[in-house]
Amino acid sequence: MKFWEIGKRNLKEIYRNPVLLGFLLGMPVAFMLVFCAAAGGGEASPIAMSIVDEDRSQNSSVFIQYIGSVDAIELNEPVYSQESQAQEDLDEGKISFYLLIPSGFQAAQQTQQTINLELVYKAADPMIGLQVKPIIEAVGSEFLGMAPPLNVELKGTESIIKNPAVNFYAPGIAVYGLMILISTAAGIIAGDREKGFLARMFTTPARPSDFILGYSLPFIPVLIVSTLIYLGVGMALGLTVVGNLGHAFLIFFLIGLCSIGIGMIVGSLVKSESQTGISWLFIVPMAMLSGAWFTVDRMPSVLKSVAGFLPFIHAIDASRAVINGSSFSAIVFDIYWLIGWAVALFAAGIMLFRRTMVS
Amino acid sequence: MNAVQTFKLTKEFDSLVAVNGIDLEINKGELFSLLGPNGAGKTTTIRMLCCLLKPTSGIASILGHDVIREPFAVKKLIGVSPQDTILSERLNCWENLALIGKIHGLSSDTVERRSKELLETMGLMERAKDQVRNFSGGMKRRLSIAMALISDPQVLFLDEPTLGLDPQARRTIWEYIAGLKGKKTILLTTHYMEEADFLSDRIGIIDEGRVVALGTSQELKTSIFEMRCMVVSTENITAEVMADLQSKYSRLEITKGRLKIYHKELDFKRIVDYLHSRGVTVYSAALEQPTLEDVFIQITGKKLRE
Repeated sequence: MKFWEIGKRNLKEIYRNPVLLGFLLGMPVAFMLVFCAAAGGGEASPIAMSIVDEDRSQNSSVFIQYIGSVDAIELNEPVYSQESQAQEDLDEGKISFYLLIPSGFQAAQQTQQTINLELVYKAADPMIGLQVKPIIEAVGSEFLGMAPPLNVELKGTESIIKNPAVNFYAPGIAVYGLMILISTAAGIIAGDREKGFLARMFTTPARPSDFILGYSLPFIPVLIVSTLIYLGVGMALGLTVVGNLGHAFLIFFLIGLCSIGIGMIVGSLVKSESQTGISWLFIVPMAMLSGAWFTVDRMPSVLKSVAGFLPFIHAIDASRAVINGSSFSAIVFDIYWLIGWAVALFAAGIMLFRRTMVS
Repeated sequence: MNAVQTFKLTKEFDSLVAVNGIDLEINKGELFSLLGPNGAGKTTTIRMLCCLLKPTSGIASILGHDVIREPFAVKKLIGVSPQDTILSERLNCWENLALIGKIHGLSSDTVERRSKELLETMGLMERAKDQVRNFSGGMKRRLSIAMALISDPQVLFLDEPTLGLDPQARRTIWEYIAGLKGKKTILLTTHYMEEADFLSDRIGIIDEGRVVALGTSQELKTSIFEMRCMVVSTENITAEVMADLQSKYSRLEITKGRLKIYHKELDFKRIVDYLHSRGVTVYSAALEQPTLEDVFIQITGKKLRE
């Protein structure tokens, strides 16, 4: 049980290091608080919308009233009759965007021609356009009595999921938090290697397997505790677990193993002073491509392919799916993908770590 | 059987020959020092003997066990205190000692008993429950030596055990090491000549990967210095006296009232009497002992700390 002594030592080095723990647990929790609060932790505020009505017809007035009746939108007063006034207010920052109802709106509606509505916003604030466009499309289609271009069917999950934003962000941030294990594992291994602690340990009669187990097993309780904390904070913020929590836990466990494997690789290859930078060189792009913060659907196909190849997006998609009620059969492919990555990364990590024992 | 034996032990790093065919025979219970400047090959030699580095060529064995073929057997017999005080910084003294002790297969009771003995001997008992990251350099060094001793090893490697310590802390460590003499076989590396002089049964002077001199401190000094030196603080010494001395002794030097007389055999009383008889005032006179630094300079042509 020599590995157990080495493992115990490494576990103590982790849990007695407040900076490391703060980073590992504190940062994802802070992210969760900020993102979930910002994206609707409580009641979402309606979006203030200004309107330019160039048509000034009966139909355009009714359409404006119809928009005003939507909960998510609060109409600014007064309704502009000329676009130049609205443009001026937009430039001066008095309004953040406006919807232009062009002249000919009523005529186009009556003759069933295409109606073009313009949503004008500052180029520096593109999120407004992205947020409001689908609302206008939906409201417009409904008002005009046309079939909407996309039928989004939620099947009553709204009544079970208390806060969709939390159910979106919490699994993503949990996976992101487990990515930080890359830096944690790499830091311990590279530090011990560089400072000579590993060399000192290699003068003792411990076998290579003792070192491999002693430098990988301690991260597993850290991974389990981290996952429990992330899920606990998520639930405190309103995460609704519709599906099987055990399946979600399995996904988090597998992605945590992948992170530990990457950490062993980085820790075995780089110097301790550069390990933090190199670890984050892995973590940040992989987090960006993981779908933790935003969907990768609108990314170029090359990036989407890279994202799909990496394990993290599978962990996030699958954990979101099972938390939102999907069955295990729906995530089987993701589970296999994660197992494959975990085995490959761990094998590479062990191989490279073993190499550090031979000079 | 020797405790440590090497034959033409060599280590090359690319084009650099760090250790160049070293032959050593260290007896059981002997304290042997490898003395040499930084980069001479001392640590590389120890790393090969501790199975951390594979020799490029040559043979090394610890108590008859080959370091290449039987590393596991060698590691059971040795204790190592590396040059840098490498400890587990967030563990306390007990935990650091238990870590090494248990890897050596000691029972919990044995680890506790030996830890207590060592912590008391090393004067660390009061701070034994503190995380070692807050310790001074001297305390860390003492704990590092205790960690090397926890398994009660037959052969102890101490790589620069007092490097970077103040004179008081260094003296304390010397006393601990001196207390181990005869009980353990100790191979110590140092670039402090006083350390090697004070502690060693025998010294190997190492330079550029080769052992250039080997013997007891006294043997090294006398073998290298065939001439002895007498230093006399004088006044009003005349040219006539100088010429007379010149004719009798091998070499004379005089600077700022200090007369140095070099010759194979020097009769202290006869010289002082002669100077008095010639009316020369003598304030003090002493026979100067050569140091290991002198030996090193004589052999290598450079200073030890260069």
